[in-house]
Amino acid sequence: MTRTAPSAPAYRSSVGTARDGFVQILRSEWTKVRSVRSTVWCALAAIGLTVLVSLLTSASSTTDANSGPAFVDQFTFVHQRMDGDGTFVVHVASQRDSQEWAKAGIMIKENLTGGSPYAAVMVTPRHGVRMQAGFTTDVAGSGAGAPRWLMLTRSGATIAGYESADGTTWHHAGTVQLPGLPRTAELGMFVTSPNGLRVTKTSGGVSTSGYATVGTAAFDHVSVQPAVPQQLRGWTGQTVTDDGAPPTGGPATGTFTEADGAFTVTGTGDIAGYGIPSFQAGDDDIVANSLSGVQLGLLAVVALGVLAATAEYRTGMVRTTFAASPRRRRVLVAKGVVVGGVVFLAGLVASLVALFAAQPELRHNGFRPPAYPSPSLADPTVLRAVVGTALVLAVLAVFSLGVGLVLRRSARAIVLVIALVLVPQIVAAFVPSLSVQMWIDRLTPVAGLAIQHTRPRFDYAIGPWAGFAVLCAYAAAAMAAAMWLVRRRDA
Amino acid sequence: MTGGGAAVRMEWTKLRTVPSTAWSLLALVTLMVAASALLLWTLGGAACGTGCDPDLPRLSLGGIYLAQLPVVVLSVLAVTAEYETMMIRTTLAAQPRRLTLLGAKAAVVSAAVLVAGLVGVLGAWAVGRSVRVGGYPPVSPADAATGRAYLGTVVYLGLVALLSLGVGALVRHTAGAVTTVIGLLYVAPIVGQLITDERWRSRVERYAPMSAGLSVQATRHLERLAVAPWRGVGVLAVYAVVALLLGAVVFRVRDA
Repeated sequence: MTRTAPSAPAYRSSVGTARDGFVQILRSEWTKVRSVRSTVWCALAAIGLTVLVSLLTSASSTTDANSGPAFVDQFTFVHQRMDGDGTFVVHVASQRDSQEWAKAGIMIKENLTGGSPYAAVMVTPRHGVRMQAGFTTDVAGSGAGAPRWLMLTRSGATIAGYESADGTTWHHAGTVQLPGLPRTAELGMFVTSPNGLRVTKTSGGVSTSGYATVGTAAFDHVSVQPAVPQQLRGWTGQTVTDDGAPPTGGPATGTFTEADGAFTVTGTGDIAGYGIPSFQAGDDDIVANSLSGVQLGLLAVVALGVLAATAEYRTGMVRTTFAASPRRRRVLVAKGVVVGGVVFLAGLVASLVALFAAQPELRHNGFRPPAYPSPSLADPTVLRAVVGTALVLAVLAVFSLGVGLVLRRSARAIVLVIALVLVPQIVAAFVPSLSVQMWIDRLTPVAGLAIQHTRPRFDYAIGPWAGFAVLCAYAAAAMAAAMWLVRRRDA
Repeated sequence: MTGGGAAVRMEWTKLRTVPSTAWSLLALVTLMVAASALLLWTLGGAACGTGCDPDLPRLSLGGIYLAQLPVVVLSVLAVTAEYETMMIRTTLAAQPRRLTLLGAKAAVVSAAVLVAGLVGVLGAWAVGRSVRVGGYPPVSPADAATGRAYLGTVVYLGLVALLSLGVGALVRHTAGAVTTVIGLLYVAPIVGQLITDERWRSRVERYAPMSAGLSVQATRHLERLAVAPWRGVGVLAVYAVVALLLGAVVFRVRDA
């Protein structure tokens, strides 16, 4: 006699079937990341360490940049007096590229004493035509260099500068006011050339020294309107200096020769103050220095990125993950988005706090205006540095995630990323060759930190966005390898 | 059989039968030699400008910056891997004297690292000797400063192993311990480059474990060092001892 068991309904889970669309995967990855203690610890450590090291670096950095003179005024001036209003036109036939900011042009100046008010329009070898005045005003004209026609017009206290390619079609370069300019002022051609920078490799870094350069320029088609009787005096050459003494240290003081109305002038020095780009009172990049704490903070970010991958492999959780969402590449993309997003937010907090927390100490240590203007987020380069720091950390986390997914073990993944990110910086300072150092800075993921740079410096090897692109290439390569392998290997 | 000798034999069996040990030690030797060859190669040609006065033995030992990484991994894993697999409970059941056990681990790991480090350093010396750089005499360990640089590097590696082992016992988490040791070693020299105040910079070089420990590699301009060669190794030794002591206390009092 057989008895059939009472037919009980087959068990069915009360949980409805879930889709494994991208949004669902994203949510599950977010849940995993946020509910793991190590993520929270790593994010907090990244913020804390970044701020801490930034404070330490700023507390231990000092400068005396503001104790130096606020301007330099040293050049060769071929001049004569001009009474009242008038127009002065020359053709700069050639200019030697003695320094990127070498200046050759025409100027109206109150008198021949260094530091007296002036307005000038000039050509430079690498930065085009500039209209400058009063050691503070700098207006960029066209990007053209010599040969170039230049014109200055005076109308009372208003000085206007013009430039032209052919001497007939003129473009306005800039207009400045020189209130208090006497009726009789000095008018003339000038040449000057700032110090060059010699970079030498020392053990443990690079050092720099300045050396004098000599600028040379040829002027012709010189005409002054209206021609005044005093012009019979002709043109006089003179070296203008800050303190009246002839310049020292330069290989030669300025000279000029005249033949058939054409002038060849040589000069050394600079006419610049705060606001003129060639004036560098201090060359420290205080924004990048304030954000230098990421060097330590990034360790926590690397750990976070690697652990987001390896922890699942260690616990076997990854099998559950792939059973729930068998489209593995999607899972990896979702992981990247979540890890990158979390680190970006933490990085933004870290860089904002580090930048502004470091400022009081930096000001106290001499990094004050005018040599070091206070950084403001309204300045696009400062904003780029702050947001860029968060971006760099986010991309670095994705790179670490990719390496973790490929290697599947935390220790070796962390060590590999560190070997690529931190070690090259130490080796770069250590190698005796400057070009090798520069190439290490360009080709390793640390190039991404170039996004923190806010002013040009001799030891910056790569531009901000180019450096960021290098880091992105590393992250893309690691994630591509992870995507390729995840389909071919068992979980 | 719970004596020290048995503990050492047990740890040695565990260490030698894990494939990652061989890989790590091989990486140590390879990186020492390969990086040394690369660094000396950068000296060639006109790359080294005027005023460049390279410290050849130090340059030939430059591989240390990479080669110490596998040492960190190996020594951290010697402790933390057992926590990941829970092997540690079996180990402690077999050897309940925890300090004896930690001592055995330290002895075995540092001995392995010292031997491999010696091989790597000898390789770096062979490279430094055979690569003829224009105008420089070949590197000779007979010179007292050079001998100190090579010997000191081996000692340095042993101390890094002990430091990592101590941190591993303290943290018990592979990623956390590796990151902590790397932070201790590498960040101070990088941040030091950004410090403009000479006084602070020399303080960092004197008290940071890697900068101080590696001052033993200097053979020229010793007067410019922030800390004397062997004294710098002593600074690193203090770090290693403190880490080991803290690790031992935690290992003793915490449940496995």
